[in-house]
Formats: sequence, C-alpha cells, structure tokens
Amino acid sequence: MTMNALFRHSIPAIFAVLSLSAGVASAADGQLKLPNFDSLTDKASESVTITLDSALLGLAARFLDPTKPEDAAAREAIQGIKGIYVRSYKFDQDFAYPKSDVEMVRKQLIGPGWQRLVEVRSRKEQQNVDIYILVEQERANGLAIIASQPREFTIVNIVGSIDMRKLHELEGQFGIPKLELEQKDGPKK
Amino acid sequence: MSKDFEQQLRDALRPVEPEDGFEQRVMARITSEQTRARSKVTRWVSVALAASVVFAAILGTHEWQVRREQEGLEARKQLIEALRLTGEKLDVAYQAVNREPQPPPDNESGA
Repeated sequence: MTMNALFRHSIPAIFAVLSLSAGVASAADGQLKLPNFDSLTDKASESVTITLDSALLGLAARFLDPTKPEDAAAREAIQGIKGIYVRSYKFDQDFAYPKSDVEMVRKQLIGPGWQRLVEVRSRKEQQNVDIYILVEQERANGLAIIASQPREFTIVNIVGSIDMRKLHELEGQFGIPKLELEQKDGPKK
Repeated sequence: MSKDFEQQLRDALRPVEPEDGFEQRVMARITSEQTRARSKVTRWVSVALAASVVFAAILGTHEWQVRREQEGLEARKQLIEALRLTGEKLDVAYQAVNREPQPPPDNESGA
C-alpha cells in the first residue's frame, strides 16, 4: 500500500473515531442536545426557555442574596453545576407538540453512563415523568428530567456534579417537598 | 502760525523708509502670533478630546455595569425559575412513586 493510499484509507477512519469520541465526550459531560423548539413558542400558551451555562450561572450566583433563604439555597444547589437547561411548554390543545422531539431527547439518555432513576407512567393523568442521572465514578454528573402530559412537556437538563444531598436541602424551597432520599435506600421503619 | 503748523504736519507725515529687517520682523511676529493662536486652539481641542474620551469611558463603564446588572438579575430570575420547575417535576415524580402500590412479594412465583 502506497503512502497516499494509506492516507486515503486512514482519514475517514480518523474522522469516524474523532466524531465517535466527540459524541462520547458530549454524553460524558452530561449536556443533552436539545432540539430547536422555536416553532413551538408561537403555538404554546406558555413557554419557558432557560439556558444557563457556567458563565451565566456564575453571574446569577453573584446576584443571589445570601440573606434570603431561597437565594442561599439556590447558591448551595448550584455549586459544582456547570449548566442548567430547561425547555417547558404548555398548550391549549392535546399533543400540539411533536412527540418525536421529546423521544429524540429520551434516546440520548440510553447512552453510556445515564441511569433511569425514576419512571412514572400515569394512565389516569396521562402523565409521564422520567428522571435520569449520569453516573461517573460513583458521582452524579448530570441530571435529566423529561415530563410530559397531553398539554405540556418539560425537559430539564442539569450538567455538572450534582450533590443529591444539596438537592435534598432544597426542601421547602421552590416548592420541592421532602424527598426522603436517604430513607428510601435504607430499611423502612 | 498756520505755516509752522503745516510744516510740522508735513514733517510728521513725510514718508519714512523702514529700518532694515522691518519686514522680516513683522512677518516673524505675524507667524509667531498665528502659531501661538493655533497652539492655543490645539491645546483646547486636546483638552476637549481628552475630556470626551474620559466622559465616554465613564459613560461606557456605567452602561456596561447597568447592562451587566440587568443580565445578572435576569440570570438569577432564570435560575430561580429553573430550580422551581425542577422542584415541581421532582415533586410530581415523588408523589407518583409514593402513590404507586407496592406489589406483594408472593407474586414473583407466578411469573
């Protein structure tokens, strides 16, 4: 095989390996590729689009008032977090959103490292909630929540080191109830 | 009397040849006056320019701070909203998990 032929055959292979490793890196840092939901904004009766990367999180943290319990809890909760991405839409009609987009996000969570923590399928309320965590070296480095109902869906993606204890400490803040995470694993009394 | 006066007047108004270098001195004086006036204008323009630059810098910094503060407050609002929504969905999952009836352990043998 000549040098040129060797290069000709090697280059596609190198690109394949690079794109594969790029994909793995993307999955490894816990950030999901969220579809472009711009077209839904006009259809939705309510929409929330939140994109907070590490720079914006740092900026937000500077404007949190440590004397306010809500702000202090938020400051604690975002320590180690590199990004928070939320897409939430409410509609006046059933299934006005393309399910395929939600499924596309769900498919990314089949990737290595992601574990489904909770799966809720409520036939009565037609409500589905899936909670996934990205576990790396026994630490949660990402969190994904996909919640869908006929008239609304929400995708939450938190990137970075997530301390479930701190999440637990958010009890009573932002409407988060007492999760009793530690008690779930242990024997019930 | 009037003759004397006329003579005096004629003497006073007689053409006098300028001294040597008079023209050069006059021209040099004019040039130096112009230069002085120009340098005064230049100095004022420089001062005005410097003041404008300082004013623009102060205004720019102030606007940047205002914009940064707005961005920061908006980011804070988004963070609180994101945590609220996350909490809401965790709440839904928590309530649903707690509602789900636990299957009895004996049912496993029937599978």
